[in-house]
Amino acid sequence: MQTHRKVKYEAELDPSFTKWVSTVPGGERIRECFQCGTCSSICPLSVYMDISPRRLIAMADAGFKEEVLSSFTIWLCASCYSCSVNCPKDIKITDIMYGLKRRAIEEGIFPSRHFAIPILAKAFANMVRKNGRATESRLVVSLAWRVSLFRLLNMAPLGIKLLLRGRLSFKKEKIQNKQEIQTMLKALEANR
Amino acid sequence: MGTNGDVKIGVYVCHCGTNIAAKVNIKEVVEFAQTLPHVTIAREYKFMCSDPGQELIRQDIRELGINRVIVASCSPLMHEATFRRVLEEGGSNPFFFHMANIREHDSWVTSSSRQATRKAQALIAAAAKRVFFHEALQKNSVPVNSNVMIVGGGISGIQAALTIANAGKKVYLVEREPSIGGHMAKFDKTFPTLDCASCILTPKMTQVASHPNIELLTYSEVESVEGYVGNFKIQIRKKARFVDENLCTGCGECTEVCPIDIPSEFDEGLGMRKAIYRPFPQSVPNTYTISRRGLPPCQATCSLHQKAQAYIQLIAKGEFEKALQIILRDNPLPSICGRVCSHPCMSVCSRNKVDQAVNIPGLKRFVTDRLSDYELPKPERERKEKIAVVGSGPSGLMCAYELRQRGYKVTIFEAASQPGGMLTQGIPAFRLPRGIITDEIERLERTGIDIKLNTHVGIDISLKDLKKKHDAVYIAIGAGVERKLNIPGENLRGIWGGIDFLRRINLGMHITPGKRVLVIGGGNSAIDAARTALRSGAEEVTIVYRRSRNEMPADQLEVEEAEKEGIRFYFMASPLRFLGNGRVTGMEFIRTRLGHPDESGRRRPVPIPNSEFTLPCDGVIVTIGQKPDVESLRDRLGLALTKFNTFVTDPLTLETNIPGVFAGGDCVTGPDVVVNAMFAGKKAAISIDRYLNRQDMREGRELEGPFEPTFEIDTEGVPVKWRIEMPSIEIERRRTFEEVHTGYTPEMAMEEAARCLACAGCCDCQLCSTVCEAKAIDYNQKDTTLEVDVGSIIIATGFKTFDPKRIPSYGYQILPNVFTSLEIERLINSAGPTGGEIILKNGEKPKSVGIIHCVGSRDIHHNRYCSRVCCMYSLKFAHLIRERTHAEVYNFYIDMRAFGKGYEEFYDRILEEGAHLVRGRVAEVTDVALDSSEEGKLIIRVEDTLIGMVRRIPVDMVILSVGLEARPDAEEVRRLFNISCSVEGFFLERHPKLAPVSTFTDGVFLAGACQGPKDIPDSVAQAGAAAAEALALIDKGVVELEPNTAWIEEEECSGCQTCVALCPFTAISYDAEKHVSVVNEVLCKGCGTCVSACPSGAAKQHLFLDEEILAEIEGVLTI
Repeated sequence: MQTHRKVKYEAELDPSFTKWVSTVPGGERIRECFQCGTCSSICPLSVYMDISPRRLIAMADAGFKEEVLSSFTIWLCASCYSCSVNCPKDIKITDIMYGLKRRAIEEGIFPSRHFAIPILAKAFANMVRKNGRATESRLVVSLAWRVSLFRLLNMAPLGIKLLLRGRLSFKKEKIQNKQEIQTMLKALEANR
Repeated sequence: MGTNGDVKIGVYVCHCGTNIAAKVNIKEVVEFAQTLPHVTIAREYKFMCSDPGQELIRQDIRELGINRVIVASCSPLMHEATFRRVLEEGGSNPFFFHMANIREHDSWVTSSSRQATRKAQALIAAAAKRVFFHEALQKNSVPVNSNVMIVGGGISGIQAALTIANAGKKVYLVEREPSIGGHMAKFDKTFPTLDCASCILTPKMTQVASHPNIELLTYSEVESVEGYVGNFKIQIRKKARFVDENLCTGCGECTEVCPIDIPSEFDEGLGMRKAIYRPFPQSVPNTYTISRRGLPPCQATCSLHQKAQAYIQLIAKGEFEKALQIILRDNPLPSICGRVCSHPCMSVCSRNKVDQAVNIPGLKRFVTDRLSDYELPKPERERKEKIAVVGSGPSGLMCAYELRQRGYKVTIFEAASQPGGMLTQGIPAFRLPRGIITDEIERLERTGIDIKLNTHVGIDISLKDLKKKHDAVYIAIGAGVERKLNIPGENLRGIWGGIDFLRRINLGMHITPGKRVLVIGGGNSAIDAARTALRSGAEEVTIVYRRSRNEMPADQLEVEEAEKEGIRFYFMASPLRFLGNGRVTGMEFIRTRLGHPDESGRRRPVPIPNSEFTLPCDGVIVTIGQKPDVESLRDRLGLALTKFNTFVTDPLTLETNIPGVFAGGDCVTGPDVVVNAMFAGKKAAISIDRYLNRQDMREGRELEGPFEPTFEIDTEGVPVKWRIEMPSIEIERRRTFEEVHTGYTPEMAMEEAARCLACAGCCDCQLCSTVCEAKAIDYNQKDTTLEVDVGSIIIATGFKTFDPKRIPSYGYQILPNVFTSLEIERLINSAGPTGGEIILKNGEKPKSVGIIHCVGSRDIHHNRYCSRVCCMYSLKFAHLIRERTHAEVYNFYIDMRAFGKGYEEFYDRILEEGAHLVRGRVAEVTDVALDSSEEGKLIIRVEDTLIGMVRRIPVDMVILSVGLEARPDAEEVRRLFNISCSVEGFFLERHPKLAPVSTFTDGVFLAGACQGPKDIPDSVAQAGAAAAEALALIDKGVVELEPNTAWIEEEECSGCQTCVALCPFTAISYDAEKHVSVVNEVLCKGCGTCVSACPSGAAKQHLFLDEEILAEIEGVLTI
């Protein structure tokens, strides 16, 4: 085993990131966090996270931009809002997670190239942009294509059963006048 | 402008260090001030409030002849008094002064330096205009009353009281609870020294009790506060404790006999106490108190005020003999009432809010059945007056009994061959066996009541004779005449009147009403007649009623029994005529629907046209009501009658229009239930007794009889337990007159009685008074009001703990073995409910305990503040629990607050002892186990933030270290004493650092946790400080009143008196001779309400004259 020198120099931190986090809607009170750990202990997924929500909040507030944006934590958040509801300082942790996810997408920083959740999020968004609705079967296939074909094969028996029962259809789902949603999304993007 | 003399203004601009100078360009301001009219000199200084600063002003007054002073600095709240004193020392009137606030109103709240400077100039210009008009004023002074009132008898109140009393001043110590001691009396040990709380507290408590200068008013509350500093007038309500404090010796005999168990407030509900109690053995005063919400609902609503809660509680304890004696106090016919009473008590039973009312008559019946050889008390003395009672129904019997108890010679005249009236003739034997009636009446006869049977008053003896031979007469002839349907065919054979039918059968005749019998009506008689018909050979009995089941006046339980026996019901049908030739063969009805309510409140049946139908039958019993048989009395001596053929009586006394003749029961009210007839008999007996003793018959009688329950209790959390059904004979056997219900067994009765919630607290059984040798118990005690005059008030009302039910994820009162810290204090205390054993709900010792800090504190959803004491008492628990149980102890904290003297050392000691300290706020306490090691445990889920891992820690016991909150009535108390509360609800001190025990109301001081969370050392220190403030006030002897009082220009006052009603300090009165309002300057607080309200501008106020204010506004606008 090798020993690593572990020290963070102030020069490696990004003070603008600290400032930015406090402007994320819900992040206004992030400075008040007193690190009690309620968010981590109430979180049903924190046991799988590489950085616990409490630490993530502290790191975001301290300007650990690289570590925060490349963490699995922000992607594992299932938006159950337990942390936001229970936080004794009323910090909207879930909202901050969303803000961090958006920032990560904008900056193209992900925990790994094959990490499924951001890929799924992107595929989902693209599909909705195109058709106004998501077709689950196609979403699964496109996700598997980009992440792991092997896992698709593993899940094939379940998929076949669902297909036979009429619960899974490959028919493309779409809304009427789908160009309207594109117009809306474009208008939104132009506004940013 | 020369009218105000030669005005020379001095302006002094303060830098306040950098507080003002950093924002305001002082130099510019001073230069500006010098240009203002009448300003002789303008200066600046770093700190005007400092000694050299003050000297500047004094010097200018002396040397330059300055006669008006403006200081531009901080808030007048801070230093107005300081500078006024400076003027006085300089030889000027102190009110020739004005302060311009350029700190709080300017430099601190303005971002631009330019604007701040401009504002400072405007404020100084305004001050210069205003101060020109200032008048020379004199302060009034009034003497200070040397008495002190202290509100709250916790450790703070006790400490303050002793300090002041030891200084030789009189103290009134007012405490709401029956004993002083407060929260501290509940504690076992105190941190950090671990000395025993009661060892250090109880000596102080007894000192309070015995101190000649302390008047201790426990179980008392302050009702109103009037007056002002130095001269308060206080009304104190002493709540009735129903025990005379001066007589009670505290022997405790009363608790031995009290049947009522109530969760002990002192033991946080972990143990029980009696309804007569003292909170804890060292209570001061050592006096018992009875918890009494009022008369129990069952007792209140009973016409006879039978002490139902009392005998039920005694039955629950297995004390049947005592229960019987309680019953016999109010009811000489208990075994009859236990069977046939219409039990209004059950409909108001508090248990109805949970599930079903307690079977009150069933329990009474149980006692009389079990101890059936009881006797009624014999009269203690004999009197010669003779009284005649006409009729031996329940009313006549009750009246005779009550009069006999008072020693009168009573004779009952009964027309029938058997005594009992409707009890015998109307109520069938399967509900009320004949033997029971006979036994009850024989018991009455053994007390010396004479019953003359077969003596029909009116036939065998005239009412006139009766009146002549007796000193008083009570007429209770009942209502025995049948009402008729008045429809065609009513004279056919086979048609019976209900009472006629029942009477014949009850008197022993054998009649068969027919095979298919219809019963018309929906009252109790209809049910009785139908069930009797079934037992007399009828094969099919149908009750036909013109409204629906909901409107039936019959007892619901009886209806159910009738249904079980196979009686059919036909609702919403009204009889039209009888069919048949000679003998009835059927009946024609018309269907009805329910219309609008009639005068009885029930919905009126309305016939539906063309809906006639026929029911075949060979017998009909008509039970649609009765009326009194006044005709049978023949010569009625001119007794007045109503249009319903009932006697007219005075409702309060039951006296008729003939003196000495009384009437009651059904012959006055029309057909009614047994208990009301008995009540009338009792009422008449009281009247007759007063009549014969020539007393006022009407005085104080309004409260007799039933009344609505006076209180309601909260039944949340009471577990549901349905009524124990009374055993009855099988349906097949119900073809004879055998009694249907066989009564409770002792076990069943005790179980049923245990359902009683004892909702009134004290059940009025009065057993305690029978054992009290000091004769200290007085049930008639009333609240009293006391008025005291004091010069100052110390408020030490303490705190309440946070209710952890507000955080459901911690499982308090959901999971067993989750305790609050106060509960643990009682468990640890050797005088507590477990004798100092720390045990789980199942009685075992815990092997591991989790202590959760900050419950309800430091949380934006509950209380944002730190409660200051929880860390330390949690560490104390860690120590005590490890010491007593050797359990593993985990403390879950967010930050450790160990700031007091010796506290950090205590923390070290706990760490050394091996307690586990986990830094992290607990997310939840659960009993859902994820593996076998967690089975049967409470699992605490927390992130150990120092390690950075989520942990699940299984423990046996969880302690919630709840925070401190303001008392729930802080708002009312605040209004009462005219003080303020901070946002958290605690009382607000005048200044957090410099005046921590004063309030904004002069003469009212704060001590202890009512001002904010505080531990014992701090509370005691504050109490000492508050006492010193009060003593300082007393020692000074006088208070100076601000001269900013209002007055009224007599010439301008129109006498409209608007101001009189508006004045919040009742300082204004109306002079009726001069037709003007007058302000009492001593009472005036200078609030200005009258000034702004006066329509003619006659009300004026010193320091706030119109010209002063207008000039000030003008001044502001010059910039």
